[in-house]
Amino acid sequence: MTDVLARRNFRSLATPEAVDAVHGQLDDLWEDAPFVPDMDRMTFATAVIEAAANVVQHAEPESADPVELGVDICIRQSSLRAKVSAFGAASPSIDGDPAMPGEDAESGRGLALIRALVTTVTFTRQDATNTWILSRDPIGS
Amino acid sequence: MDLSYEVKDSYAEIKAAGRLNMVSAPKLREFVADVVAAGSSRIVVNLEDTAFMDSSGLGALIGCLKAARQAGGDLRIAAVQPQVKMVLELTSMDRVLTSYATAAEAFGND
Repeated sequence: MTDVLARRNFRSLATPEAVDAVHGQLDDLWEDAPFVPDMDRMTFATAVIEAAANVVQHAEPESADPVELGVDICIRQSSLRAKVSAFGAASPSIDGDPAMPGEDAESGRGLALIRALVTTVTFTRQDATNTWILSRDPIGS
Repeated sequence: MDLSYEVKDSYAEIKAAGRLNMVSAPKLREFVADVVAAGSSRIVVNLEDTAFMDSSGLGALIGCLKAARQAGGDLRIAAVQPQVKMVLELTSMDRVLTSYATAAEAFGND
């Protein structure tokens, strides 16, 4: 496991504005990691924003407390990795292999888009927290 | 996202500047609906200053396209930047949302 060269950690209530805040963190992060090529930045950032937006749009609270969005991004020399978490969320219904919907559809492309943008997507659920881990590696390929 | 529009000879040009995401997507839908309601159904969305679009933004563009067509017109996009082009291609929506180099070219031959 190589060293972490840049990292950002974000957590707040899962609101649409939180997605904008995550975007700001991503823009800021690249300044600490100038070696990451534009194509990798573009694809990875798009996947992270899609995953964060998915939490805001679809995560249902498990209790009376609202869902919180967490995004933890790590950059290593050869990989980009993001943990996108829905804290306090009920277990989601997930389509493991989502297809793109028809041309007329105005929603439903997010998960298929994420799969097209990163190398691996994994999902875990533990202690009322749903976590998606997105990895893109190797960088620059 | 900042939205503005200008009525030209044969179309209305909407300039969208900023990120087209889940925050701004409802604003774009509302903005285009107002432009259509005001009598312009041939619409070009100029994306020159839209550096980022996610699937919510794409969904809004598709909704706006339907609204324009229902009003007897069409919606086309212009000056698409690399990230937006990538999202259109990965979702195959580049076949539905026709992209032109400039807003003036979008309805140039109609």
